[in-house]
Amino acid sequence: MSESKTTSTAEKPKKRKGPIRWEAIIPFTIIVILIGLYFKLFFDSNMRSLAEFVGYQATGAEVNVHQLETSFTNASIRIAGIEMTNPDKPTHNNLNIGEIRFSLLWDALLRMKFVINEAAIENISFDQPRKQKGKVKPPEPEKESALKQEAEKLKNETLESAKTKYDDNVFGNIANMMTGSSESDEIKKLENKLVSKEKMKAFETALKEKQKNWEERLKKLPKASEFQALGDRLKKVKSSGFSKPEDVQKSISEVQTIMAEGQKKIDEVNATKNDFDKDIKLTDDGLKDIRAQIEQDIKDLQAHFKIPKIDAKSIAVTLFKRYTNPYFAKINHYKALLYKYAPPNIVDKNDKPEVKIQPRARENGTTYEFGKLNAYPTFWLKKALISSKLNSSDPNSKNGNLKGEITDVTTNQLVTGKPTVASVTGDFPSEKIEGIDFKLKFDNRTKDAIINTSFGVKSFAISAKEIMNTPDIAMSFASAIGGLRSNLELKNYKELSLKVNNEFKDVDYQVTAKNKDVESILVNVFKEARTTNMVAEGKGNLPHFDLDISSDLGERIQRGFEKEINAKIEELKKKIKEYVDAEINKQKEQIEKQVNELRSKAEGELKKVQEQAEAQKKLAENKINEAKSDIENRMNAEKAKAQAEANRRLKEEENKAKKAAEDEAKKQAEKLKKRLGF
Amino acid sequence: MTLIFKQLFNFLKMLNSDTGHNQLAAGLACGLILGFAPFFSLQTVLVLTLIFIFRIQMGAAFLAAFFFKFVAYLADPVSHELGKAVLENPSLRDLFVDMYNMPILPFTRFNNSIVMGSLVLSVALAPIMFFVFRALIIKYRILVVDRFKSTKAWKAFKATTIYNWYTKYDALYG
Repeated sequence: MSESKTTSTAEKPKKRKGPIRWEAIIPFTIIVILIGLYFKLFFDSNMRSLAEFVGYQATGAEVNVHQLETSFTNASIRIAGIEMTNPDKPTHNNLNIGEIRFSLLWDALLRMKFVINEAAIENISFDQPRKQKGKVKPPEPEKESALKQEAEKLKNETLESAKTKYDDNVFGNIANMMTGSSESDEIKKLENKLVSKEKMKAFETALKEKQKNWEERLKKLPKASEFQALGDRLKKVKSSGFSKPEDVQKSISEVQTIMAEGQKKIDEVNATKNDFDKDIKLTDDGLKDIRAQIEQDIKDLQAHFKIPKIDAKSIAVTLFKRYTNPYFAKINHYKALLYKYAPPNIVDKNDKPEVKIQPRARENGTTYEFGKLNAYPTFWLKKALISSKLNSSDPNSKNGNLKGEITDVTTNQLVTGKPTVASVTGDFPSEKIEGIDFKLKFDNRTKDAIINTSFGVKSFAISAKEIMNTPDIAMSFASAIGGLRSNLELKNYKELSLKVNNEFKDVDYQVTAKNKDVESILVNVFKEARTTNMVAEGKGNLPHFDLDISSDLGERIQRGFEKEINAKIEELKKKIKEYVDAEINKQKEQIEKQVNELRSKAEGELKKVQEQAEAQKKLAENKINEAKSDIENRMNAEKAKAQAEANRRLKEEENKAKKAAEDEAKKQAEKLKKRLGF
Repeated sequence: MTLIFKQLFNFLKMLNSDTGHNQLAAGLACGLILGFAPFFSLQTVLVLTLIFIFRIQMGAAFLAAFFFKFVAYLADPVSHELGKAVLENPSLRDLFVDMYNMPILPFTRFNNSIVMGSLVLSVALAPIMFFVFRALIIKYRILVVDRFKSTKAWKAFKATTIYNWYTKYDALYG
């Protein structure tokens, strides 16, 4: 029985299975249904938790997402109630977003493209208080990766440089200079160092020597009596009534001898005069030298007191340091995040990649795009809207009216033919922020990808911002109205240039200082700076770029200080002049008096002698001329007499000849008449 | 992983049995296509669906896919040149533009030169290889399996209790 049963079992033909694997299709269908159920029931909450976790890890503070809904059929996602905790102030949020929603186009998805017709980010607000204090990520353990260290280094770089570069006590130093000096004591100490004083002493000694010398030389000059004697001798010389020519010759020789004697004396006087003129010139040069030395001494005295040149730039940087440091800290925080998460082709990470054992990657080949105009690019966000509306029912609401849109965010702008453009406008009345204007243009259609952004705020209120607090001086903006305009350009995702222009109007400074003089100086100085600006400019290759701050506040303060300092300088100059007048000018005047005395005395003496000599010379010349003319007159008279006699004789001879000729003519005429028969 | 190992055992078992040479050959041919295609692509999904729905031997397919991955890796330069030639063919340009902008088809990633070259190679080789594999399996069964089964060692092993237990287990759980 059992044998037959065994045989029948062994021989029982196996049921032939068909070509379709029905036994597998049913479990597969069940699995698909289960997956569908998971997506329907749990996926959204899991995604929400994941988003919160990733946000927390990335920003270092709690991120809350209140609602997250996805729809497979609509290919849409909606995230509501995003709160990003401020890691520096966990009771508040850095950013609140009411709702983010967008949906993909299935038509494009089936083409392996991602096209979003419209996305919206609504009800954005900043610095809102949290219901519960947000969780802040604890600091990383000490053992950090090279990448993290580099990021931290970058973060702290600017802050450190700002801390070490500028001294908080910039005004303290200036004010101390302006209030704490005692110039008169210092001048007294410098009395022996005055070169002009030494020079004047030497000059005075030399002048006395010269005076003595000149007095001696003047004594040796020819006397008036000597010239008088020469004159007398000349008077005695005969100058007219000469009977013989030899007498004339004799008189002239005598006059010439006297004149030669006189000329010798005149030459002596002239030589003395020339020497005197040269000496006087040297004396004048010496005086000039002394005057120049006095000027130099005044300058040296002023230099000794080190009148400072104020550096407008460092003043501006120091003043704005407290104002800008929180913003720099934020910039550096995000710079560090960029460095941490940006791919190495955008950010040059100096650390070497970790070498892992892995198979060589397959060749990538060449991927062709068979795009055509008006087709779908791989990703295309056609339009995204962003808005934040003021909650009018809540007077303390920090929300504002914001409206913005982004158009044509795409992976291939050549297919869409449009650049990515974004704009945001709005205001926050409760925060007194008006005229927010943000524009972005990202153009990747050309060889160099260019991202251009501009951000401006027409006006925003600044209240009670401390700008300096040292043991000696405390300063703050009690109130001010600010305006902001900034431009950023990023070329090829690396070359960044940034310019931020901050305008401050109606700035009300509050200055208090230990020293009341300093306080009054600073109050006067800051009256000049009720309107000012702050310009921050930066350029560089990411992630390395430096910001340079400049402001006309520095210049205005410089002007104010210069005004005050100039007054101080004038005061100091006056003191130095008084000192110079007291110590040097008296001596100088005395020397000048002596020189003038010497000059007038010597010049008078010489002039007198010269005049006498010239008078005698003239007398001699007259004598000679007189003698000469006398002789000439006589000679002319004799000559005329001889001429008259000659003329008379000639006329007589002419008359005789004429009569003889007439007689002869008459005779000839009578003869002719007879011949002709008259 | 258990499923894969089970399929691999099934493959060995079927290879050494008398039946299913078509299933095995089809599995190996599908494995060739899988090996040449990128993992995330429409053709992979399609071949896997075919393997899953129709009674194609999975173990053979996975084993062949594993083996042909290496072959494809070595053939990348050839695939690249071939794909490039196809994709840059001007007469096919309009077709590719349409395909690129058509639903579903872009998931094949045909616009990549290596993917296109590998696809052309695998699709062309698959039918040929099906018959080659089929012939090889039949030859293997005659030359290797039958001879092995007629050895005294195998007959002695078949007579053991372990073998009986194994056949019982196999009949019950497969």
